[in-house]
Amino acid sequence: MSYFIVGYYALLIGASCLAAFYQKRGVFLILFSLTLISFIVGIVGGESSLWFITLCAAALALAAGTSFAFREFLVIVLPTELSKAVKTAPLTAAFGLFVIMTYAIAGVFAPIIAPFGEAEVISSAFAPADENMILGADQLGRDLFSRLVYGARNTVGLALTATICAFLLGAVGGMLAATIGGWFDQFMGRLVDVIMSVPSLIFALLLLSIFGTNVAILVIIIAVIYAPRVFRLTRAVAGNVVVMDYIEAARLRGEGTFYLIRREILPNSTAPLIAEFGLEFCFVFLLVAGLSFLGLGIQPPTADWGSMVRENATLISFGEITPLFPAAAIALLTVAVNFVVDWMLYRSSGLKS
Amino acid sequence: MSGVLSIVLKRLGLGLLTLLIISILIFGAVEMLPGDMAEAVLGQGATAENLAALRAQMGLDQPAPIRYLDWLSGAVVGDFGISAVSGASVAETIGPRFRNTLFLAAYAAVIAVPVAIILGVVVALLRDTLFDRVANVATLTSISSPEFFLGYILILYLSVKTGMFPAIAKLNDGMTFFELLDRTFLPALTMVLVVVAHMMRMTRASIINLLASPYIEMARLKGTPAWKVIVKHALPNAWAPIINVIALNLAYLITGVVLVEVVFVYPGIGQLLVDAVTKRDFPVVQACCLIFAATFILLNLAADVGAILTNPRLRHPK
Amino acid sequence: MTDKKQSDLIERMVAEARKGRLSRRDFMHYSLAAGMTASAASGLWVSKAQAATPKRGGTFRVGVHDSNTSDQMDPGKYQAVGEIQLAHTHRSYLTEITQENGLGPDMAVEWSATPDAKVWTFKLNTNATFHDGRKFTPADAIASLNHHRGENTTSAAKPLLAAVTDIKAKGDDSIVIELDQGFADLPWVLTDYHICMLPAKEDGTIEWESGIGAGPYKIVDHKPGIGTSLVRHDGWHREGAYFDEIEMIQLNDPNARQTSLLTGEVDAITQVDLKTAALLGRNPNIVLDDVPSGSAITLPMFCDTAPFDNNDVRLALKYAINREDIVEKIMFGRASVGNDFHVSPGMPYWPDIEQRTYDPDKAKFHLKKAGMENLSVSLSAADSVLPGAVDMCVLYSEHAKAAGIDLKVVREPNDGYWSDVWLKKPFVFVKWGARPTPDNMFTLAYKAGAAWNEARWENERFNELLLIAKAELDDAKRAEQYREMCQIARDDGGTIIPMFTNFTYARNKSVAHGGKLAASWELDGARGYHRWWFA
Repeated sequence: MSYFIVGYYALLIGASCLAAFYQKRGVFLILFSLTLISFIVGIVGGESSLWFITLCAAALALAAGTSFAFREFLVIVLPTELSKAVKTAPLTAAFGLFVIMTYAIAGVFAPIIAPFGEAEVISSAFAPADENMILGADQLGRDLFSRLVYGARNTVGLALTATICAFLLGAVGGMLAATIGGWFDQFMGRLVDVIMSVPSLIFALLLLSIFGTNVAILVIIIAVIYAPRVFRLTRAVAGNVVVMDYIEAARLRGEGTFYLIRREILPNSTAPLIAEFGLEFCFVFLLVAGLSFLGLGIQPPTADWGSMVRENATLISFGEITPLFPAAAIALLTVAVNFVVDWMLYRSSGLKS
Repeated sequence: MSGVLSIVLKRLGLGLLTLLIISILIFGAVEMLPGDMAEAVLGQGATAENLAALRAQMGLDQPAPIRYLDWLSGAVVGDFGISAVSGASVAETIGPRFRNTLFLAAYAAVIAVPVAIILGVVVALLRDTLFDRVANVATLTSISSPEFFLGYILILYLSVKTGMFPAIAKLNDGMTFFELLDRTFLPALTMVLVVVAHMMRMTRASIINLLASPYIEMARLKGTPAWKVIVKHALPNAWAPIINVIALNLAYLITGVVLVEVVFVYPGIGQLLVDAVTKRDFPVVQACCLIFAATFILLNLAADVGAILTNPRLRHPK
Repeated sequence: MTDKKQSDLIERMVAEARKGRLSRRDFMHYSLAAGMTASAASGLWVSKAQAATPKRGGTFRVGVHDSNTSDQMDPGKYQAVGEIQLAHTHRSYLTEITQENGLGPDMAVEWSATPDAKVWTFKLNTNATFHDGRKFTPADAIASLNHHRGENTTSAAKPLLAAVTDIKAKGDDSIVIELDQGFADLPWVLTDYHICMLPAKEDGTIEWESGIGAGPYKIVDHKPGIGTSLVRHDGWHREGAYFDEIEMIQLNDPNARQTSLLTGEVDAITQVDLKTAALLGRNPNIVLDDVPSGSAITLPMFCDTAPFDNNDVRLALKYAINREDIVEKIMFGRASVGNDFHVSPGMPYWPDIEQRTYDPDKAKFHLKKAGMENLSVSLSAADSVLPGAVDMCVLYSEHAKAAGIDLKVVREPNDGYWSDVWLKKPFVFVKWGARPTPDNMFTLAYKAGAAWNEARWENERFNELLLIAKAELDDAKRAEQYREMCQIARDDGGTIIPMFTNFTYARNKSVAHGGKLAASWELDGARGYHRWWFA
């Protein structure tokens, strides 16, 4: 038995005992169940699996530490109003904010951060990592890290614009339909049926083949594909709100449609919309990846995470990790955005407990 | 109840009208696509002469409206024509593939919907605990990779390395039901991973959205256990958005799985549609799109009816 | 190491390799040590000869790429790889490309021409039968050829037989083909995948709908876009067809193909994803076959459109491309470099003309001469033409930067590439299937006025030589004529030819073949189905 395993269990059991002594019930439960799990995993998977658990725990601790520090930083830096809100934010939300900010910085200052150009060929194909290229090279010998950084700019920019467009279209349409009702509601409902019933890849294929591919058209088409989903959701949520008595009261007061939407319906249906935003945002990356499957995505040599996953996807079958980096970049951002969304959801729900 | 029935009938009528509009739009879109069927069939081998001959043979020399009306007159009596490219009957080409698609979608849905709703309720109950975070991170990560990539990873670990499941979902005629389930497990699992996160998070969000309502407060103050508050009081009012997202995802399971079909070599309808669009094979494109549209309209109708049934207020629009 | 010594070494190594004394691995090792790029070696290895004698039996399961639900039985509309593979399995042709890449008999046993190569006589194999037992007759052969001729034909092979004026039966075992000009390559052209032999109907048309052919296997079950099962045709007229049954499965996804081969779902696959080919080859149960082919990548520039109407611009673009780098990075060494004329080293009459190399300075010189130092052009490509096509153009664009050329890469939609981009845009990416002879290729795509003259290039001397060489039956003279034509195309033509791709396919080690492989299509010229066996 190596020193590592002895130290590992000693640390866990010692920490559990301490937690039990100071009556920290939650901490104790987590630590002790981790000890028990480690016994089983250690027997089945051997020392390497314990290393894995240690690494995960260390990563988690690092993330938690960073988030904590970042939250404190925000509290100090931000004006009073905002800092009050941030102070009560859970660590996960702080983590989300931290990741989003990192991505934003990477995107804005890409040319400064990236050691090489987006399209610059500097070595042989799939060269392994060295002191120049911390993640190695891609299929053309371009620096993978630089392309990831540029990808933050291109991909996130595109996804953000497209999602916002989709939400403006869908949410406004949905609330109007719910408020006005009648023929307008029916018309919008059927229009949305028409768009949604054609599979999105086929729909994009048809439109892009007809109108040609450039970024502006890509954004519009993605917005048109996703707006109906937002519309249906908004319509459903707002539909529930519209039949409430306070809306009836507002109507009798003689309020106009836009007042109703802005002051009554919108505040009462933001939560599911925010939740949807967090997900739709990440679906855009995937749609772009899917489009590049049909040769319709972003023009080369522009770096884009979705296409980067797709280009080297087959390598994963042989245990090569090149395609995991862009996939991880997407996953990390998705998780981060949704952590922040969870926090906003919690705030908007008015829950105090 | 009769109110609901009349709504359903009205919507079905509107659904037919929607189908007609879709068929016109699809026809127009296929017409507007650069290149026509004859060029697509001959590909690199096209010359002016053989193109002209093939166009005449396929009837492409007729004006577009006449071709559409020809097709429509057949379609209204249930005859979807023959594929202009392969000469096979459209109904025969699509039939077995649509059955396969429905089977796979049902397989994935049977797993995904209960899992998503139960998980959603549980994480709403245990919100902001470690379990909530882990469930969220896991499902979010699973939807962050493109589905073909997810499929590759599953194939690597569950098929190539461990040999637990077959890597490709090749179907034979004489398969038993259990062989079929085994063969199609990996594509079904991929699709489950793709759709669970969305439905789970919507369930969680809709429930949390209601937790601050006075009647929930009331129930809690009464001393009702937390799980009972959620299942008995919050959930019934949260159904509308949840049902909507479920309908969306069910539709996705049927219409959006082209890439999963390609990765697992599953003979479904998605691949057929892509091939048909590439070849500009209008009758097949039209039939596939109409099937998708009909599925979609029915699912949406079911979602709306579900929303009405779960919220009595909607039954009496003021 | 001096250049002279180096080239000596390489020559010696090549000679050793040809004799089979040097393995591919060793060759790579030595050649890298000698500073040579690995790509130069790709042409040398086919596969080690296997001494085993063929055995009968077994079901050969093949994962085929590029096969679609729209695949069809009409031979005039064959286009996809899946169709071509199936065509060679259940149908037969008059002549074939042999494993030695020569011309061999199939349903025609022998042929002869008049001295001016204008009238050809083909003697048919009278033992040949169709799957339903019918005898193969001259009427069938005539109807099958006529399917691709005449005003109303919809066949893509029409240009191949454009020179044919009449086809007649002679006795009950021969046909006579008359042409309006001498055409020495006619027997080669008849190996084209479209021109298969089918049973004739009463009215002189062919019966293609039923799927009946005279090939080594007959179709039991055919589901387009899913797969086809076939059993041996007992009345087949030739040696071979060792497998009892064939199962072709559509596997369009590269990952699905490779995992199916790894997990034993199939015995062979028609295409390997080049990125992972080396990783796949490490598996002890898998054998890769790497066959240099005549399939060229071309980048045609419209010679009648500015700025490509200036030959200096064309030359600058030809010097600005680093072919070795492209072969290394895009094809992972599984291709041979091109030299801007459309004859591959494996084709008959290949002239040994000095290789054009990457030279940004020369490119700059030519740009200066043309007065276009800040040349900016767009190059269109789509990945459906060749996986990695867009990447290749991006790489080219990086090479061209060194010569001060701004090359913009345009990714075109996969869908509709052949109808909307090829022959429509002035500078595009094209892949050509292998054609058996230089004449065949030049007539299709380089002759003035040819429908597929993709570079709109017209050179008087070239076209003059083309007509002379076409009817020349003396091989030595013909070779000299083709050398001159290649030189003209290289230095004046509108087409950049960066490389000729290999066919790289893989099989389980239990599948054996004769050691040599035809270079016309995947899987031994699409004839592995009747040439290979289970060891």
